[in-house]
Amino acid sequence: MNSDRPICVLLAAVGGQGGGVLGDWLVEAARIAGYPAQATSIPGVAQRTGATTYYFELYPDREPPAAPVFTLFPDPGDVDLVAALEPTEAGRALERGFVTQGTTVITATDRIYSTAEKTVAGDGRTAIGAILDGIQQAAGRVIRFGAWPGQSLNAVLLGAVAGSAVLPLAPDDFRAAIRARGVAVRDNLAGFEQGLQLARRPGPTVTTDPATRCEPVPPILEPALAMAKLPEPLRPLVGHALARLLDYQDAAYAARYLRRLAPVVEAAVPAGDAEHRLVATVARRLAAWMSYEDVMRVAQLKTRPGRLARIRTEVGAGAGEPVEVVEFLKPGREELLALVPRALRGWLPGTGRLEAGMPLRIRTSSPSGYAALKVLAWLRRVRPHSPVFALEQAAIDAWLGAVVTAAGRSYSLACATAELSVWVRGYGQVRARGRSALETRFADWARRVESDPEGLEAEVRASIEAARNDPDAGCSTAAQPA
Amino acid sequence: MRQLSNSAVPAEVPARGRERSFATEAGKLVLGAGEVFHGETILAITKALLQAGVAYVGGYPGAPVSHLIDVLADAYETVLKPMGVQFEQSASEAGAAALLGASIHYPLRGAVTWKSIVGTNVASDALSNLASAGVTGGALIVVGEDYGEGASVIQERTHATALKSSLPLIDPRYEMARMVDLTEEAFGLSEACHLPVILSLRIRAAHMTGSFVCRDNRPPPYGTRNPFPEARYDYGRIVLPPSIYEHEREKAQQRLPAARRYIVAHRLNEHLPGTGGRLGVILQGGTYGVVQRALRRLGLGNAVGRTELPLLVLNVIHPLVPDEIESFVAAKDAVLVVEEGNPALIEQEVRAIAQRAGSACRIAGKDVLPVAGEYTGEVVRGGLARWLTDVAGGDLSRRVGERQRMLSEAVEQARSMAGAALPPRPPGFCTGCPERPIFSALKLLQNETGRLHISSDIGCNTFATLPPFNMGSTVLGYGMSLASAGAVGPALGKPSVAVMGDGGFWHNGITTGAANAQWNRHDAVLIILENGYASATGQQHVPSTGRNASGKPVRLSIEATLRGMGVNWIRRVDSYDVQASMQTLREALSAPAGGLRVVISDQECRLARRRRDQRLRQEAEAAGRPLRRARFGVDEEVCTGDHSCMRLSGCPSLTLRPPADPLKDGPTAYVAADCVACGLCGSAAQAAKLCPSFYRATCTSNPTFGQRLRQALAGRVMNLMGAS
Repeated sequence: MNSDRPICVLLAAVGGQGGGVLGDWLVEAARIAGYPAQATSIPGVAQRTGATTYYFELYPDREPPAAPVFTLFPDPGDVDLVAALEPTEAGRALERGFVTQGTTVITATDRIYSTAEKTVAGDGRTAIGAILDGIQQAAGRVIRFGAWPGQSLNAVLLGAVAGSAVLPLAPDDFRAAIRARGVAVRDNLAGFEQGLQLARRPGPTVTTDPATRCEPVPPILEPALAMAKLPEPLRPLVGHALARLLDYQDAAYAARYLRRLAPVVEAAVPAGDAEHRLVATVARRLAAWMSYEDVMRVAQLKTRPGRLARIRTEVGAGAGEPVEVVEFLKPGREELLALVPRALRGWLPGTGRLEAGMPLRIRTSSPSGYAALKVLAWLRRVRPHSPVFALEQAAIDAWLGAVVTAAGRSYSLACATAELSVWVRGYGQVRARGRSALETRFADWARRVESDPEGLEAEVRASIEAARNDPDAGCSTAAQPA
Repeated sequence: MRQLSNSAVPAEVPARGRERSFATEAGKLVLGAGEVFHGETILAITKALLQAGVAYVGGYPGAPVSHLIDVLADAYETVLKPMGVQFEQSASEAGAAALLGASIHYPLRGAVTWKSIVGTNVASDALSNLASAGVTGGALIVVGEDYGEGASVIQERTHATALKSSLPLIDPRYEMARMVDLTEEAFGLSEACHLPVILSLRIRAAHMTGSFVCRDNRPPPYGTRNPFPEARYDYGRIVLPPSIYEHEREKAQQRLPAARRYIVAHRLNEHLPGTGGRLGVILQGGTYGVVQRALRRLGLGNAVGRTELPLLVLNVIHPLVPDEIESFVAAKDAVLVVEEGNPALIEQEVRAIAQRAGSACRIAGKDVLPVAGEYTGEVVRGGLARWLTDVAGGDLSRRVGERQRMLSEAVEQARSMAGAALPPRPPGFCTGCPERPIFSALKLLQNETGRLHISSDIGCNTFATLPPFNMGSTVLGYGMSLASAGAVGPALGKPSVAVMGDGGFWHNGITTGAANAQWNRHDAVLIILENGYASATGQQHVPSTGRNASGKPVRLSIEATLRGMGVNWIRRVDSYDVQASMQTLREALSAPAGGLRVVISDQECRLARRRRDQRLRQEAEAAGRPLRRARFGVDEEVCTGDHSCMRLSGCPSLTLRPPADPLKDGPTAYVAADCVACGLCGSAAQAAKLCPSFYRATCTSNPTFGQRLRQALAGRVMNLMGAS
């Protein structure tokens, strides 16, 4: 690059991350060091909580022959440093051409998820690995850093900027800038030092999700698991499922899980399930469905030993500081009826009023609220007598039957059918509608599987797609038989 | 929720306002001659107004010029009042423009500010009349106008307004000392030509940092400390025949020529001769930086502004000075006009001037540069390269073409490494915003009513048109939502719903919306989001805030105003209570009598409230008083990973966490530590019968003895039940 040019720095952030203060620090540091410099930003509502950038230029000669001409826009191919407080925002800089061979990129790797990623039912997260790889290939140098608990990210990033030595400013210039701005000076100086070290000795920062963890098989179910015919790699997952169902109901219910899985395992091999995708999907979805959350289950989870201690840590409560925990429950009519023994149900007056649900705010941090939930949790012993339980089990069996039938004709149809259980979700009416839609779909299943497996598979895939894209439809028309 | 009778209108002034402080900025306004100012342009311009001796300042907030109003409001007692300068935050841009009426008869310099083009549109009635009557004292309008990334309003040019009303328009070169000079010159220009002058700034320029050497502030010759001795009358200044015919003649024959003479005499435009040659560029002052940068990158200039090509920098883009253009064009074979925005008004005029002068110079502009959109460095470089390869010929053409090709290739190669599609990240409501829950309620309500026609307004509430709400069929202007649904309700055969902020209500909604709907008996529901501020532009005060911009306690009531118009169906709901909002909206939609129904969704802007809370917390902490801090949480095991809660919220602090449980479909919900416990998560979960995974945890620091004791006893009992 031509040496007679300003050094150009693009700061990328999400509105609210402190990018503006970071820009102020750079301007102040340049002023202290005596270099001509200029910064600009696009603050205001146009960027609130959205993607935003700040731009800074510094002319690396304290006494230029004439006033340097600064500009307010980064120019692709002319950016020396991209410093990002969020990795997809660094990715955006690359997409816009601001990361090239001459660019140093410093980026935080911790995500701030966008609304688009969050509103997907299931996993809508952008794969961050590919973005970081792209930056690695395009940029001259990359410094990544993960979370710094307790440190403000922008101060850490400022430290890394200082450490990268892209700008002709000494660490002391930056320290003086932090002091001059006068906001949270001690914390920001500490963050700055962390970042400074990091840039001087950059280590690889791995950013993968923490692996999911399988519970061990409960001893009482070990023999049953040992006897079950299963693909070996799936044993930990199935063991996890058994532990879940034992906790949810009892050993008999867990054993029923294994019995339900057996026909699928048997049908999978001739269908071509060499990679065990079909069995894995069914094993996972079956366990999730069989441990569907009803009032009893929620009460059980919310009265788990240690939960209050966990919440105390989360709010940072010191010893002796009272913590009040309020639960927001709204069981619907169906869920409440599930609590009442069948014989008494006819005696209940006007349950129609409960259609809209019963809003409850229960204080689990008080003995009375906790005791009330304990009682509800205990009622899981009568769960198998509730009509909802019966409906759920029937729907599960219909679904499993459909999977097995499909496996006899088309492997890919079977895999798609296994995913169809995504429709049975939520609570109350939404759940009931999803359930009945699935039953309607499976009514004429065997004939359709025989006569038109391709057409059927297209419908099933469209239905799954609809479930993901329009998750609030409850029961989309796409789930209805054509 | 409560229904208000006339007598129940809250009379007390709420503890709102005065949470932001611009004391540091205000301190820079009193720098004296020879002292160096460091800061942002918009503050520098504010300082320039005081150096120019303004007697009064007004305006309506809007990015990027809000800061001018913010700082002057804070500086009123310490800076403006002692100088005898009047200040007001006007109720609308029309009010601000009308304020300039003081300069028609009196030798008072005045300045007002707003966001263009929208503010200029609102102001245009007063502006046209002002321009016709003409001014005695210098009148300046500082507007923010933007294209592309910095814009949040329709893309139109203030230039067109300047042309039709004969208003000189300054688009300064972005160098701080130059901008300060031009701001002061603007008053001289205005007085020389008796026309109000507009100074236009792009958002990046308004927030550009820089420095300049100050001059002393000049107290106005007449002002609050030294009243003008007499009131004046002159029929010649009244916009009625025959004066208006005379005004029009004056504009063409005297005022604009006087402006041109002033522009030349004071060298407001700049001619950089370069190294000569027969090619040149005519550019708006505001594009100077990108043009210089593009020339340097194409190998035709250096970092301190020496270019090969001659440049004519138009700091005043209206009126143009034909002599300046003619003599620049005369010695050239080809000239490029760099002009941002559509239509190409400068280019057309330059072509006309050249043609009238019989010049053979080839003029290019929007044929090599884009017709529309922001003129970023990359865009201008592309245009310059195209133009030069086309007209320069020989070695220069080859050199520039090769250079641009190399630069583009390097960038395209790097861009091709981009690994994956990135999630869009448009702006949205803040964490804990009180405007969010009403849209959660509307989203849920439409499950019962079917899709409603919801007309949107200007303000933070416009964010509801984005995911996850996707709500709002039209946006027609500030305070216009109710009026814009006037013909929709009857056509759809059911009441329409209009959403409006309190800012929009006071700005325009009160007459154009409420009075119009009430008078014409519209079957409509108006939701007013009363958060107490003009929040989108930075929590400026509105008439119902409790204090005016200068800090005087005064509060106008929205309910009392509506009742005074005869609107009787008014309900006030706590905006964070989704179920109550839904119920109130149900009632409003089904009210049998028809007519206008108003639902006021009431909670203070969270940004303002957070600032106050922070101060109160620090005080409580220092005094050792009990202090509650609350946040929401999610039981990971209970969360199904369906994310319905997020589709009803979009709150930044309600986010995702990778699942630990292999049975989960995807990431579970997670409430980040910046949660402010606004209550929406719990309220929406109940209203929508979502999963019961949310809880609210409230921790009390510095507990009293009684609180400690109760906690200890409860803990014992619960441990017996197995809680530990």
